[in-house]
Amino acid sequence: MDRNRRTELLARADADQVRLLAETFLSHRNVADELDIINPPEVGMVMMQVREPVCKERFHLGEVVVTRAEVAVAGLRGWAMRTGADRETALAAALLDACAEHDTEFANDVHSLCEITASHLAADERREWDELRATAVSFEELD
Amino acid sequence: MGYAAARGGLKAIEAAERLVARERVLGDSPWLESKQMIEKLRLAVDRVMGEGGLWDEHLAASALRQAEGDPIEAAHLLRSYRSTLPRLAYTTPVDVDDLVVLRRIVPAFRNPPGPQLLGRTTDYTGRLLDTNDETTQRTTAEKMAAFLEESATTTNGFGDDSEREGDRRPRRLLDLLRDLDAVVDRRRVDDPEPFDITRHAARPPASRSARLATMARAETGALVNVWYRNILGPDGYLHEITLGEVRHGRLPVTVVHPLTGHEISIGEVRVTEVEAIEDLNGIDEDRGRFDVGYGLCFGHNEKKAIAMANLDIACERDRGRSFLEQSILLTTDGLDASGFLEHLKLPHYVTFRSMMERKAAIRQHQDHS
Repeated sequence: MDRNRRTELLARADADQVRLLAETFLSHRNVADELDIINPPEVGMVMMQVREPVCKERFHLGEVVVTRAEVAVAGLRGWAMRTGADRETALAAALLDACAEHDTEFANDVHSLCEITASHLAADERREWDELRATAVSFEELD
Repeated sequence: MGYAAARGGLKAIEAAERLVARERVLGDSPWLESKQMIEKLRLAVDRVMGEGGLWDEHLAASALRQAEGDPIEAAHLLRSYRSTLPRLAYTTPVDVDDLVVLRRIVPAFRNPPGPQLLGRTTDYTGRLLDTNDETTQRTTAEKMAAFLEESATTTNGFGDDSEREGDRRPRRLLDLLRDLDAVVDRRRVDDPEPFDITRHAARPPASRSARLATMARAETGALVNVWYRNILGPDGYLHEITLGEVRHGRLPVTVVHPLTGHEISIGEVRVTEVEAIEDLNGIDEDRGRFDVGYGLCFGHNEKKAIAMANLDIACERDRGRSFLEQSILLTTDGLDASGFLEHLKLPHYVTFRSMMERKAAIRQHQDHS
């Protein structure tokens, strides 16, 4: 799993699971000792730009609340941005990202969490589609 | 605006606030959970996010609860909160073709590319007030849920993943009309920077990006009213509009990863999207083709997106000849309009006394002459 995909899945992962794994990593002395918070978790917004289909022009749809954080573990940087205002989980996700860069064993645990997240997202989408397809319609035209 | 503030009244103001808080927070009923509002009052929560110009369901639900259910007041609270937040980034331009549909209908065309999916709607059901008690409503809903479960497992025809992928992101009717050379081509080759309505007030003549952003954040009722007046109201216009696409779905929020430089998706927002097909019949227009207007807003709000798409193409055709663009830019913002209206309730003693004195002076002058 490449780093981009990992960041995407840590952004979508269950908040409790992200914090739990981060706490487990922090109980390792070398992680706690070598942790450096580069950018503390910050709640802010990203402006959503969309490209519409008629003229292929960009316009601003509105802003989305996000929380981002950046840390380093033994000098290896980890970054996270999640939607919503949740500083603790964003910090935990950044820590997981850095730990995955730092140590193979940590990386395996982070990737397991990411794979579980990917599998939940796929299952949600399948379930959503199963319900949706029952509403597929073909209206008849009246003569 | 002539207005002089008044002083004092602090004790009365605090007592008034306590009355609101007691009923809103305590009352005789349980605490109104945000989750409950997001689930069961989703259209109100969606409307607040759209009009507040800020996507966050939990914050919007909190605002709606604090505003005692008034969506304009809730959007006001959300905008106030927004003004305290830094803008951390811009998303990379999100192509609306990436929208994953939760509902998609094509009123103009029986067999468009991809399926027509009614999704979660009561559009085709009679508007009858359900006066049954909670137990009866729960029993009915449980039967419906069981039926849904059963039909979801037995429905065939969209089975495998590749088919599902195509059906969740169906090709647009607009693309089909382009293939048939039935629509004027207004696709731009340049890529102008979008106008930022949160930093500068949009004034006519405005760029299309300013108009679209203004309408995406507009108050729903105001936008519907401008549309209704424009389509068959006193301005004397009569547009023959047919809706192409009406979609509700999930759109990715994509940003650039600062450490890799690649585009990544950090989550999704739900949006409503509409394409309105306009029959061109003006002397200076291409009468052999159609043109298309576009609407997109946060959340599930079809009334707003339909009005927006219609007004987008109406503005394009109007080309500043009427007050339409001015009406859209200057009168559809809920915060602007309600802020001005609400201020009328504040003490205007000095202003009114001055007006009374003017009237007395005029009468005195009239009596003398």
